[in-house]
Amino acid sequence: MSRKLGALVLALGILVGAMGIKTALSSNSKGTVMMANGPAPLPFPPPKPAPPPTTPPPSN
Amino acid sequence: MPGPIDLSIWFLGTAFELLFVVCSLARKSFLTYLFLNLYLLISIAVSTGRFVFLQSYGQGSSQYRYFYYYSDALLTLTLFCALISLYSRVFGELRTGEYVKWGAVFLLLGTAGFSYAVVAQSAERLSTDFAYELSQNLYFVGLVLTYILWGAVLKLRETRTRLVQIILSLGLYFSGYAASYALMNFSGRFSIIRYICPVLGCFLPLSWSLTILRNSEESRLVPAQLVAVPR
Repeated sequence: MSRKLGALVLALGILVGAMGIKTALSSNSKGTVMMANGPAPLPFPPPKPAPPPTTPPPSN
Repeated sequence: MPGPIDLSIWFLGTAFELLFVVCSLARKSFLTYLFLNLYLLISIAVSTGRFVFLQSYGQGSSQYRYFYYYSDALLTLTLFCALISLYSRVFGELRTGEYVKWGAVFLLLGTAGFSYAVVAQSAERLSTDFAYELSQNLYFVGLVLTYILWGAVLKLRETRTRLVQIILSLGLYFSGYAASYALMNFSGRFSIIRYICPVLGCFLPLSWSLTILRNSEESRLVPAQLVAVPR
């Protein structure tokens, strides 16, 4: 039982460490998703939403 | 469609993946490294699917993007299983197989729970973002797991050449991805990692294939000689 508890604690430690590394590496992130398995070309990032149309000022 | 360099790297990488499976079969190691073979077989199937989507919809399409990231999540899960199978082999002689299994299940559930907590704030993002949040988190878990396995290999003085080289390759692969992730986040430019990631995708099956080709299952590394002064 104590060994299973040890495995649980170790798993939690690994998870905390992994998320710590991720946070450290993505501290300057702009919301990019980055992972890739295999040699396929990465999909282009989605286009940024267009700015709202500006209405021309009413002419007098 | 991507350019000729992208396509060349892609086809080369897929050929290396196939090479590993063929080498494993030829050297009668398919079952010994079952999960590594499964990972690469699924990767070949996914590459075929990605090519079909790429040809049908284009690299900038949302269809290709969705297929890419969902298939990536599947591949990451398989790679996680392959990594755990390497753990079982390294710790096999210590009869800790059951605890490795429990630890892997806890870790997978913990990562899934953490990923869910991250994306659960937005109901509309839940269905789309969960797969790649889980995949991204599993990458970093895999990175830490591989470093721990490196440490265990050193500590236990593991001498099985194939096993050591496969683990070292995996460590370099994860480290390369983590570095490219950091590079992209710091620079914010997609063009930087355009070729790095696919080349890394070629590196792993090539290094594994060379390991299987050049070493037999009985090959052992010569441990570093101790500096002993004769009296």
